[in-house]
Amino acid sequence: MSEAKVVTVNLLGHVDQGEVGDEPYRVDRDGRPYVAVGDGGTVLGLRLGESVFAHFGDHAAPGVCLVHPSPEAGHALVGLACLGNRVTVRTGDAVGHAGTVLGKRGGGSRVIAVFPQDVLARLRPGDQVAVASCGQGAAAPVPGLSQMNIAPAALPLLGLTARGDHVDVGVRAMLPSRFVGNGIGRPMAMWDVDLQVDAGAEATRSLRLGDLVVISDLDARTNAGYRRDWMSVGVVVHGASPQPGHGPGVTIVLSGPAKCFSVRVEPDNHLGLSEERLLGVAGESRGDV
Amino acid sequence: MNVTSNVDRLLTQVLAGEVWPPLADRNAYRIDPDGQAFFLPGMGGVTLDVHVGDPATGYAGDHVEPGLSVRHREPGANYALQYLSCIGNRVEVTSGRAKGAAGFVIGQHAYVLVDMDREDMGQVTVGDEVRVFAVGQGLVLDRHPEVVVKNCSPALLTALAGGTTPTGRLEVHVSAVVPPEAIGAGAGMASEYANTDLMGAYAGMGADLSLGLESLRVGDVVALSDQDHRFGRGYREGWTTIGVISTASCSLYGHGPGPSSIMSGPASAFAVIVDDSANLSSFNLGQQRERT
Repeated sequence: MSEAKVVTVNLLGHVDQGEVGDEPYRVDRDGRPYVAVGDGGTVLGLRLGESVFAHFGDHAAPGVCLVHPSPEAGHALVGLACLGNRVTVRTGDAVGHAGTVLGKRGGGSRVIAVFPQDVLARLRPGDQVAVASCGQGAAAPVPGLSQMNIAPAALPLLGLTARGDHVDVGVRAMLPSRFVGNGIGRPMAMWDVDLQVDAGAEATRSLRLGDLVVISDLDARTNAGYRRDWMSVGVVVHGASPQPGHGPGVTIVLSGPAKCFSVRVEPDNHLGLSEERLLGVAGESRGDV
Repeated sequence: MNVTSNVDRLLTQVLAGEVWPPLADRNAYRIDPDGQAFFLPGMGGVTLDVHVGDPATGYAGDHVEPGLSVRHREPGANYALQYLSCIGNRVEVTSGRAKGAAGFVIGQHAYVLVDMDREDMGQVTVGDEVRVFAVGQGLVLDRHPEVVVKNCSPALLTALAGGTTPTGRLEVHVSAVVPPEAIGAGAGMASEYANTDLMGAYAGMGADLSLGLESLRVGDVVALSDQDHRFGRGYREGWTTIGVISTASCSLYGHGPGPSSIMSGPASAFAVIVDDSANLSSFNLGQQRERT
């Protein structure tokens, strides 16, 4: 376990517009065309605690996606931003208002941030925000585990308890690694992993935005890959997708040997991250931007 | 393969490409499953001495692309080349010291991958131009409407063992059956493009990484369990995808030897026969001409 101090770096992000592509249609797993709604950008009316299947959307996230026009700076933004980091609006109608990083999405290098709904409604794509990034490099609560993508101050929000040589964690579902689609083989400091599930899958029927899940036989310390007797814990950060190989996204926060975890599966009474608590934690974090 | 199809209706398009250079970045290193940094050859260029029938694992390489790695420098023309080239298509070298030499497409991997005789291949290098006689997309098997076929040339369809069974299934011979836990990078991408990396084939690494796939060969026809690749690549219980291994060893975690997808449908539509000879090296694809 490292004793080194975690470094805070102020970053610049831009409010994302979202993407559709040069044709309106995408194709679902049965070959049906659809128009993607909520793939990036600022999404109103989608909140932490809602079912990942409740809305007609494609990777829709509960809040705003942040990007950077330079690809390299975008990689730094998505790589360094961590759950719990404070986000402050610097330009536009919502200037001065604060939100909190929820997680991240790979590919397009997007950081997902939660704001109060009235602030979200005042954002405009292109508005600039400051992200007080902090968390990468932080030591895990017990030896043998790797921690990533979460500010140390936000760890208590997840209800994790270190007990000797293992971590107690309550999750909505424990899922096999074969459910992991897009994101597999990608660096987990910069990507989420999509769960290839639909509303009919028993294990994930009650999955909600902000829930914790455990993925078994998945090693996510660097790239995500199959490894027997390993576990990775993450937070559900965006909703379902009709695209084959895609689905609700999980930002990984802990990964290690299965013996380092004591998992309680709470299919019905799991309490995931709430908007109120997530917005509250940013006020306690460092960074004065 | 003993099937009836619409092969007589398919069009052949002549497409241009060039051998693309290997690319590196200033940080050089990537990370293996155990966190070890490596710098190894693999994608791009002309990779010698890895042909269909050869082992797909055991090389000191990463994303090893057998033979020629071909693309087009214009993005739109490149997508045409990548999406329309099919396994078994004839490829001719049109410039450089190997001008006139011929080979065949073994699959896609963000490049079209081309195998040819060792002697000819040794004369090809980065920048040499090729033409691909692209034919295969649009192939439909008359008696198997549930099975979507793609990336499969008429020559490959003819060469595959099996066909329509008396009970109406599609018999396909494969050299290996791959469990869904093995599906790595490539999940969620278009199935006319690149391929599906398989994990669990890290020869010489820990037993906890193994899914028993270390003996795969380049060109192996394989069955992917619980995979639906009709409109992209995704997990779907009770579905089967047939693929052909087109790339070899990976050291990068979550990656590995990968099949290009050729057929996808409900598992009940197939009769899968495990047969060690189910490999492109048994099919004499280099000898066949595609309607030219």
